[in-house]
Amino acid sequence: MEQRFLKPSILAGISGLELVAKTVVDGFVSGLHRSPDFGFSQEFAEYAAYTPGDDLRRVDWNVYARTERLFLKRFRGETNSVLTILLDASNSMQFGSHAVNKMDYARYLAASLFYLAIHGQRDAAGLITFDDEIRNYVRPSTRQGQLHRLLAGLEQAEARARTDFSKPMRYFQDFLKRRGMVLIVSDFWESPESLVRTIEPLRFRGNEVVLFHILDPEDVRPKLSGPSILVDLETEERLEVTPDFAKQEYRGKVETHLADLRDRTRAAGMGYCLLMTDRPLDEALREYLTLRGGRN
Amino acid sequence: MGLFSPWFLAGLAGLALPFYLHLLKRQTRQPKAVSSLMLYESRTQSSTRHRRLRYYLLLSLRLAMLLLMILAFANPFLNRNAAAVASNRLLLLVVDNSFSMRAGTRLADAKQAAMGVLAGKGAARAQVAAFDSELRLMTQPIEDQSALRAAVEAIQPGDGHGNFGELARAVRAMAESVHTPIELHLFSDMQRSGLAASFADMALPGNVQLTPHAVVTKAQPNWTVESVDAPGQVWGKDAKPVHVQAVIAGYGTPAAQRAVSLVVNGKTSATKTVAVPANGRATVDFPALEVPYGFSRCEVKIDSADGFPADDLRRFAVERSDPQKALLIHNYGDNRSPLYIGAALAAAAQSAFVLESIAVNEAADRQPSNYAFIVLSDLNSMPSILENSLAGYVKAGGSLLIAAGTSAGGRLEIPIFGARIIETRDYSRVPDRFMAVGASDSSYPAVAKADGWAGVKFFYALNVDPGDARVVVRLGDQTPLLLEKRIGEGRVVLLTSGLDNLTNDFPLHPAFVPFIEQTARYLAGSQRQGGARTVDAFLELRNAKERTQGVEVTDPEGKRPLTLGEAASAQSFQLTEAGYYQLRLADGRRNEVGVNADPKESNLDVIPGDVLALWQGKGGQAGEDPSAASRPAAPAKTRESVWWYVLLAALVAAAAESVLASRYLGTQREEK
Repeated sequence: MEQRFLKPSILAGISGLELVAKTVVDGFVSGLHRSPDFGFSQEFAEYAAYTPGDDLRRVDWNVYARTERLFLKRFRGETNSVLTILLDASNSMQFGSHAVNKMDYARYLAASLFYLAIHGQRDAAGLITFDDEIRNYVRPSTRQGQLHRLLAGLEQAEARARTDFSKPMRYFQDFLKRRGMVLIVSDFWESPESLVRTIEPLRFRGNEVVLFHILDPEDVRPKLSGPSILVDLETEERLEVTPDFAKQEYRGKVETHLADLRDRTRAAGMGYCLLMTDRPLDEALREYLTLRGGRN
Repeated sequence: MGLFSPWFLAGLAGLALPFYLHLLKRQTRQPKAVSSLMLYESRTQSSTRHRRLRYYLLLSLRLAMLLLMILAFANPFLNRNAAAVASNRLLLLVVDNSFSMRAGTRLADAKQAAMGVLAGKGAARAQVAAFDSELRLMTQPIEDQSALRAAVEAIQPGDGHGNFGELARAVRAMAESVHTPIELHLFSDMQRSGLAASFADMALPGNVQLTPHAVVTKAQPNWTVESVDAPGQVWGKDAKPVHVQAVIAGYGTPAAQRAVSLVVNGKTSATKTVAVPANGRATVDFPALEVPYGFSRCEVKIDSADGFPADDLRRFAVERSDPQKALLIHNYGDNRSPLYIGAALAAAAQSAFVLESIAVNEAADRQPSNYAFIVLSDLNSMPSILENSLAGYVKAGGSLLIAAGTSAGGRLEIPIFGARIIETRDYSRVPDRFMAVGASDSSYPAVAKADGWAGVKFFYALNVDPGDARVVVRLGDQTPLLLEKRIGEGRVVLLTSGLDNLTNDFPLHPAFVPFIEQTARYLAGSQRQGGARTVDAFLELRNAKERTQGVEVTDPEGKRPLTLGEAASAQSFQLTEAGYYQLRLADGRRNEVGVNADPKESNLDVIPGDVLALWQGKGGQAGEDPSAASRPAAPAKTRESVWWYVLLAALVAAAAESVLASRYLGTQREEK
């Protein structure tokens, strides 16, 4: 169900990432149907029969007093997780054909996920912004004020330079010492093969890796009224292109590229979520909660 | 093939416009930013390819449209064999039925010649027309021989003046709408007086081939009554004797004695014999024209001694009626104004008006509507009852002449006329001791015949604010001297000086008499230009204020040529026949005029053969016998203009371009 408060064009009118995140998450949560897959960390889930070896701290002693039988009390989200968002802040992210460009959309997305993780799930959350270098790092934490630090990190993330996953990736390993969820937010203008090969090591250490692929509608369906000279925002390379090519061949190549990326990431055990900047954010939140639920 | 107007080909430079739109304009695009060029491929490998034409078909159509339009303006023609286009040729038979064709058997000969041409041309497409002062089409272009012959037979003798310039103008207009060649056969007496003032006015278009058929080949002697000078109106039973003067002219005639008669209402009242010199003119004077009350139909006629008796008389109408009454209201003790005004009216207006002079204190019991017009001369005081009475008289259609004089200087405004008095001007104190007239409106009848009032000295005048009045005469210092204003249905003329030989010396000048006469006629509404007119002249039926009243016209045959709508609204009427026309005008007055044919029609001299050959476009054959012109010429080649078809093709190209362009635009909308 599309939520009115999740439309990017409306979010663009809200100043302050925290308010944006609160609007998105509250709007999203209030629209949810109750489901066994979704819940919050202090919510009771079920009783399970005690088997030798189980942690005695989970035994419900009140039940034992009444029934003299040992049961374990289980909660949803009872384990804390670590959420780390790797945010691409390269030049191509500032492309936008309407009110919200890809960088803004990525900020809204990251802020909403942080808000949901910290306030809803009590997870530790961290942020790494990068282009061809690592630009900023906010260490995952559950301390008071972490959300504000993360949002400040998002505010400071300015699109510049060009994307290069291979160079900063080796540093990611140093930062990601605890297992958790790694969400990479980027427009992924790279060869799917090399991209997956570069990111795959993150998965080897037991992290759940999800690629949030942010694209502008014109990235997929460019509008050209006549033969045009196109300029690459990152490399400033120029190319003359005809509308016929943009209308037919290019669209086919984009669809192939997206399908290839999706297939390769899933084959590598990573999640993939394509997000268009004119679509609401709830799809991304849903993906996160699904992932989070799977870790219980 | 060729072009009539090749200089329009300069417009070919405009063909650069579509090329600019399709080629150059496309190179001015701004670069467009994209996230990545990773998946893009260049589709314009070289500059030549970059400039390749898009929308070839659209460009072709646009070029074709422009080219065809330029070509249409250049007026292309095709050289075609006369034989090949003979089937498309329009046979235009024009029979002259002007007044001179009444001489002898000219019209019958012309019609017979037309019948002969019709029979010779077989089933050709033809059109019949009659021609005097204008071209009257008798049929549409048809191939029905019986209808064409009937149309020729139906042509009746007319009274108009043949004008070949008007014929050429009508044929030029016709040639613009008829795109096939026109074979013009003119059956006429080829009267020399019918030639246009400038030979260029008689030029015929390229697709018209003139074949004249002259029914006479040489001039015939003819006597005629060229003009008659007679008054249109006679006033009262004791009017002065009226002179009638007639001019008898002879064209190509020897010296001869002619008997001239004055006929009034069908009865010969006087006959005189006059010696007309060879090919000259003589004047006859009838000293006393006696006509009864009402309209009389008069004519001056000569004894018929030539082959053209129709022009041996000249008609005019005379009306005898009682003189109209005019009232002069003056100051008590003022004897000068009645003297000068009365003398002027008696001297000039042929006793048309009887002037009644009264002092202002006697005027209260007079009924203003009994008078044709009223003159107020230098009134220092006017009873309010008289002022109200005169104001009502003017609003109801009466007329007033106000001479301000010196007494009005003490007032704030002129009574009835309503003009504010600014100041009095006493010119006896300026260095010249008088002021002359500075500017006058010569179109005003009271001034036109008074020679602009030259030499008149004005010693005193009122400077008034004219407001919405018409200023006819101004003094040298721009002081309004004579003004006219319409109030209600009537009119008031104001002289800001006097008529008493005190404030000016105007009454002592010769210009005073025509001024009083014309003003009196103008105010009384009895302007009349005499009772004779020429065929094709126009009669004024009403002025603007009489717009709603109907008029009635009865032609010489007793018919009423005006429809009800025309009778209610027509401003003028064209006299098309010779004879007597009776009219009832919009102001209720009756009138009768005698209408005569144009005197030029009496000169039966014919157009020389060389001039006729020049008109046919055969200047090199000057001196050829005019009878040879009756043989139809057959040029080897005929230039047929095809601009119409070219323009049609341009329109088709434009329509196709619109359809195609809208399709491309539709594609671009889908792309968006």
